[in-house]
Amino acid sequence: MKSVPFEYRAPATLEETLALLGKPGANVVPLAGGQSLLPLLALRQVRPATVLDLNRVPGLAGVEITDEVVRIGALTRLRALVESAPLRAALPVLPETAAQVANRQIRHRSTLGGSLCHADPTAQLPAVAVALEARLWLRSARAERSVLAQDFFAGARTTARRRNELLVRVEFPRTPGRHCRFEAVTRRGRAGFPLIGLCLAVSLAGSVVTDARLAASGIADRPRRLWEAERALTGRRLDGDLAEVLDAASAEADPSSDLHGSAEYRSHLLRTVIRRAAARLATEGSAP
Amino acid sequence: MTRAVSLVVNGRPYTAETEDRTPLCDVLRHRLRLTGTHVGCEQGVCGACTVLVDGEPVRSCLMLAVQADGCRIETVEGLATEGALAPMQQALMAEHGLQCGFCTPGVLMSLAYAERARLTAEETVSEVLAGHLCRCTGYVGIRRAIERHWKTEEAAG
Amino acid sequence: MSRTDHAGPFIGRSMPRIHDPRLLVGHGRFVDDIDDSGALHAVVLRSPVPHGHIVAVDCAAALACGRALLVLGPDDLELLTDELPTAWRIPGQRARTVAVAARTVRYVGQPVGLVVASSRAEAEGLAELVRIDIEPLPAVLGLDAALAEGAPLLYPEDGTNVVGEIHFGDAPQELERVMASAAHVVERELTIQRVCHSPMEPRGLLAEWIPATRRLTVWSSTQSPHVVRQELATALRLRVDQVRVVAPDIGGSFGGKVTTYADEVMVCLAAVSLGRRVKWIEDRTENLTASYQGRGQRARARLALDGSGRFLALSAHITGDLGAFPIQAGTGPFQVTGLALEGPYRFERAGATVTAVHTNTVPTGAYRGYGMQEAAWIRERLIEEAARETGRDPLELRLLNLIQAEELPYTTRTGLGYDSGDYPAALRRAAALAEERARPSGDSVRRGVAVTPSVEITGFAPSALLEMFQIDWSGWESVRVRVSQDGTVTVFAGVIAIGQGIETTLAQIVADRLGVPIDWVAVELGDTDTAPYSDLTSQASRSLTLAGAALMQAADRMRERMFELAAYHLKAPREEVVLEGAEFRWPAGRTSLAWQEVTSRGWKGWGRSEPGRIRLEETADFDPPAITFSYSAHGAAVSVDLETGEIAVEDYWTVNDSGVLVNPLIAEGQIIGGVAQGLGIALTEEVVHDPVTGHSLTTGFTEYILPASADVPPVTVEHRSTPSAVIPGGFKGLGEGGVIPGPATVANAVAAAVPDIAECLTATPLSPARVWDALSATEAGRA
Repeated sequence: MKSVPFEYRAPATLEETLALLGKPGANVVPLAGGQSLLPLLALRQVRPATVLDLNRVPGLAGVEITDEVVRIGALTRLRALVESAPLRAALPVLPETAAQVANRQIRHRSTLGGSLCHADPTAQLPAVAVALEARLWLRSARAERSVLAQDFFAGARTTARRRNELLVRVEFPRTPGRHCRFEAVTRRGRAGFPLIGLCLAVSLAGSVVTDARLAASGIADRPRRLWEAERALTGRRLDGDLAEVLDAASAEADPSSDLHGSAEYRSHLLRTVIRRAAARLATEGSAP
Repeated sequence: MTRAVSLVVNGRPYTAETEDRTPLCDVLRHRLRLTGTHVGCEQGVCGACTVLVDGEPVRSCLMLAVQADGCRIETVEGLATEGALAPMQQALMAEHGLQCGFCTPGVLMSLAYAERARLTAEETVSEVLAGHLCRCTGYVGIRRAIERHWKTEEAAG
Repeated sequence: MSRTDHAGPFIGRSMPRIHDPRLLVGHGRFVDDIDDSGALHAVVLRSPVPHGHIVAVDCAAALACGRALLVLGPDDLELLTDELPTAWRIPGQRARTVAVAARTVRYVGQPVGLVVASSRAEAEGLAELVRIDIEPLPAVLGLDAALAEGAPLLYPEDGTNVVGEIHFGDAPQELERVMASAAHVVERELTIQRVCHSPMEPRGLLAEWIPATRRLTVWSSTQSPHVVRQELATALRLRVDQVRVVAPDIGGSFGGKVTTYADEVMVCLAAVSLGRRVKWIEDRTENLTASYQGRGQRARARLALDGSGRFLALSAHITGDLGAFPIQAGTGPFQVTGLALEGPYRFERAGATVTAVHTNTVPTGAYRGYGMQEAAWIRERLIEEAARETGRDPLELRLLNLIQAEELPYTTRTGLGYDSGDYPAALRRAAALAEERARPSGDSVRRGVAVTPSVEITGFAPSALLEMFQIDWSGWESVRVRVSQDGTVTVFAGVIAIGQGIETTLAQIVADRLGVPIDWVAVELGDTDTAPYSDLTSQASRSLTLAGAALMQAADRMRERMFELAAYHLKAPREEVVLEGAEFRWPAGRTSLAWQEVTSRGWKGWGRSEPGRIRLEETADFDPPAITFSYSAHGAAVSVDLETGEIAVEDYWTVNDSGVLVNPLIAEGQIIGGVAQGLGIALTEEVVHDPVTGHSLTTGFTEYILPASADVPPVTVEHRSTPSAVIPGGFKGLGEGGVIPGPATVANAVAAAVPDIAECLTATPLSPARVWDALSATEAGRA
């Protein structure tokens, strides 16, 4: 299938980009890596009047690491995340998770911002952003504001981004001593299409959890923080009995059934990935 | 909206008139008549349309032609030199790594990238071949060709 | 380049394919690659509902903007087209044709019209302006819905959704009698899902009508150019000689491109109406949702054993989901399931009843290995379960009941006449390979292996057999060999190239038989203007078997004529002439003559031995006297993740006997490719429809999941060779064998890994969700 006709604009400055995005009544779709947008265009599920290419805008890509945050430009390719040595040292869960997305060819184009804005409820990186309490910076021609990842995702392929706003960067807070792990189960076959994922981040005193963050994909219409499971995990040993944690997580999940499996199956997988993530962190740990 | 797009494909400059909405694969195939690049799904999954854009593998159904304006494109037509098959092409032939041959051009371009990026044979299979669907061969011949070619290259240093 | 293979022998040699370089450098010529300058582009209008009456198709808005060159709707189609014929029917089946014009739509995606514009994108935009007004009717989705009391009817005039029914083998009463007295009976309901052929190249065609000559030329991605030619002539009310169909390079087919689809007729009609070239390339969504599909069966089956484990009876009631209407092969796959039910075993009694049923989904038809894969699934699951229930070793149980080499030829209860081979030897070898490959289980990952024998109908089929069953196909093949003035050799055959390498194997045969270098040989296929007639072409594991047999005969006759000509010009006795290095020599007379000189003189008419035979062409028709059967044993080693239900096939091996192999490299490629498709059926592929809307939920490759590289383990292929006694050359087919035992073998290996869930392994695909459902009911899964 072929897209509806549209006008392609590739401005060279952020100002021009935001001006075009903010034109009243304009039906504009920003184009980052295009790896999710182009199929939607071809299938005519997205029907823009203007496609706004961000790829010529300077300053939107890059990884910057300070003592407090890991700051990643929205247009940073997943491949750059995978290959960034400073990022691997500062926040290894991010490159590790990015490496699980699709394949090298796709990761070469696909961007962090695009993945977050596409807001596929089964996608991997949104769950990591939610678990790590990432802050998403949205800019319009007039103002800049930030939204916590957990408030950004508003439903399947729906976000808090307003039409005149552009996601420009994402900040992941750095928490010294925190260990993170992303565990996933994919759909049938080994092609790797995601089904369910879990990001577990813990601070430990010995092997006792002093602070826990859990967020999962594929268990609701958006990536979801598992607050009760976090509470249940806090104060427990990672290699101890996790039944209460798993029960709490199950109670918080709201999965649905589809051709890839029933809600019960997804609930079960959620327990499995929590157990696996905890076991891995307990034995291997992870760089903070 | 239509506009002129300039591309350097396999070292040769081209200019083509194209609609803004047209993906790169359609311009390569139907404007430049370089039909070696095939389109298998237009959904970015099968990988048949893979070409190299400025040296990197790209699904040409997932990139607008206008986005490639000014870029250096490599397609399957550029792999053989003076009528001689490139070593990777020879390896695919020797190991029966193609049957209908529809997905082959895309596979070849990804392998050309993997070779230049100095990936190991194992990485090439697990990360690059993973981005392609082949309905005929069951991949076994393709993997054998990769192993054969990588071994030959290693031996040659 | 790899070494040039000038000198024979070529038969039996693993040589790379001669047309590979063209495909490797990007010079493939698939339909969408053909220069389409000036062509118009079509988009197919499709039904958005599973069942309904078309009230009106309103094209006014599309036509009003002036950019649509043509819009065809049911009125036009009814006026201008006739229905397409079917070939294989079932007793009770009323419909003998497929309508091009739909007044009542019976599946989502059914073609109802066509929009033609200057580009595909333009046509798609215009198609959105066409209003299809449909009065919806209640839909029937799935076999249960179709057979339910008071179910809505697809064809109310039939009074039922049952298309027809047939019984093969021993009578039902006789089967019941044996079952009742057996020491042990295993009964299961076994299901095989609907699958999509998913060739990497979807369907597509470029149609050209020249008004001056009133001739239609169609370049079509089809497996059956002659059939399409006849069907198009019928549907478009043309004489057959007004239609030429050319199959260029075909990007896979697997049974999905064997007949003309209604939408293809519409594209040709548009070309005829406009006097312009019109092109249509199916997109992937259409391919996965509206192209005919494969499989879709359920069987209630029983296996009876005596106290010593001997098979007393095998009985099945097979219900097939035919979809909205019978197409060309129609119920054939269901019928083959019944016919092939027994596989390589001896049963005292065996029989199957086959019922075909209409549903409001895409019609089903031929898919690689049809009937035989389904039969293997039913039979081998039952045998595995029988072994488990009676505490026998599955391998020993199989060996006890396999037809022994000395029992061949052997006629099954359904009437199949197995010719030659050693079935137990193949299974023993596969079992020996299994022992080397068994790996230990872990805490949460269990491992198991299984081996499964099978037989494969190949070289389908004697025309008389098709006549007996009143299947409207011929079974013979024809090949023409031409030696040109310059000595080069061209083979024209009715079979066609769909990626299986037939060009190379035919070249190997002719080069060998004539004694010429293989690079003097060209193989021309796929053009109805030049290709000998063929109905079934490259289907049913028959192209090399039957075209190869015809070619052996034609080439041998041509060789004899060349020797006679050479003898005449050398003034030598025929029997003293030898051919060495493309030179005819008469050693005694110390004279010689180049092959090319002989051919050149031959075309001048000099030295002919018979007055009426001048052209250096020989044609041979070959109608097989009987079906010839390949056989194999497959083995799989699997792991089962008890926590997630994920299955990984870690190793796979086959022992295969397809008689004389012309090119073992190609043979191995065919087998492994089939194995991968078998793994797709076993693990990943399934068409799923929304039970309420009737829309497919598997519209792209992220939902309809094909095996990726990581899903296919290394595959070991070992060959045995029992030459066919009924096929000149000793060939047996192998195009489908790879797919046949795979799903059963994988399931049986899963059963071996986790015996607790063996009883639940009754449906493919064994998706993680389905396996987990089974696991969660057991101790293993709760662990």
